[in-house]
Amino acid sequence: MCHQTVSLAARHLEAHGIPTVIMGCAKDIVEHCGVPRFLWSDFPLGNSAGRPFDFQSQAETLELALRVLETAPAARTTVQSPQRWTDDAEWKKDFNDLSKLSPDKIAERRKEFEVVKAVAKSKREGT
Amino acid sequence: MATIAPSMKAVFAAEHDVPVPYMQRTRDYYLALGFAAYRWAHFVDAPFAPLRIPLSQARIGLITTAAPYQPEAGDQGPGAPYNAAAKFYQVYSIPTETEPDLRISHVGYDRLHTSAKDINSYLPLARLKDAVAAGRIGSLAPRVHGAPTNRSHRVTMETDLPELLRRSQEDGVDAVVLVPS
Repeated sequence: MCHQTVSLAARHLEAHGIPTVIMGCAKDIVEHCGVPRFLWSDFPLGNSAGRPFDFQSQAETLELALRVLETAPAARTTVQSPQRWTDDAEWKKDFNDLSKLSPDKIAERRKEFEVVKAVAKSKREGT
Repeated sequence: MATIAPSMKAVFAAEHDVPVPYMQRTRDYYLALGFAAYRWAHFVDAPFAPLRIPLSQARIGLITTAAPYQPEAGDQGPGAPYNAAAKFYQVYSIPTETEPDLRISHVGYDRLHTSAKDINSYLPLARLKDAVAAGRIGSLAPRVHGAPTNRSHRVTMETDLPELLRRSQEDGVDAVVLVPS
């Protein structure tokens, strides 16, 4: 949802004359929406600005985003950061991986999500 | 782990070493849980506004989806379970000169493979300040703006985006960096 929100925001700013660049990890969501400029880090969600406790990684990620802001020739420019999260890509298999969930676990997750929705609803409505 | 494709000399990356298909995974996941498929926003065209001045003279804004820490709203620490009580539903702004305490327990970041222990991995405010000090960018906008992550496209597009635009214009920014968490 985060990636969709900032994608819509980037489009809105840009349509009103303000250039933007998104730094993000969810390539499909951002490109599906369609944005002007996007620096994609192939990292787990939550690391859009670089690797935790890694000054060099964060500085290089920002610098590349600034380069994208300066040099993108047209809308829908995506640049992929050369940084790797791990040598292998095993982490990519795990996000919302249904194959690891038993029917009981799925029922449990469903109940949890109903609770979360109710909490969000009451918060949204200020009750 | 690379594999060698049959009848090819080239060594390819592992088959699963591609961009994570978040939309598909999310759709399948919630369908399995018994909820309707989510309709992700998409458009045929994308707007484009050229950068008109050198970055070394530009004022740069920052928009985040991270949430201000709310002491009364439960566990928002590193690795905390998804916490809907920590969500926010209105655009907020905080001065860039501060070191704001912004958390991401209210969003679906990858809790298995990262921990949200370092704010600088999801909010590049300190690195942007470094860029100002180095002369790489002219200045930072006076405020960081927070964008609510609402499932409803209507609320985002009709309420939140005009507000983010208004505040960015007030700040007199030349360009904006947007960072989802």
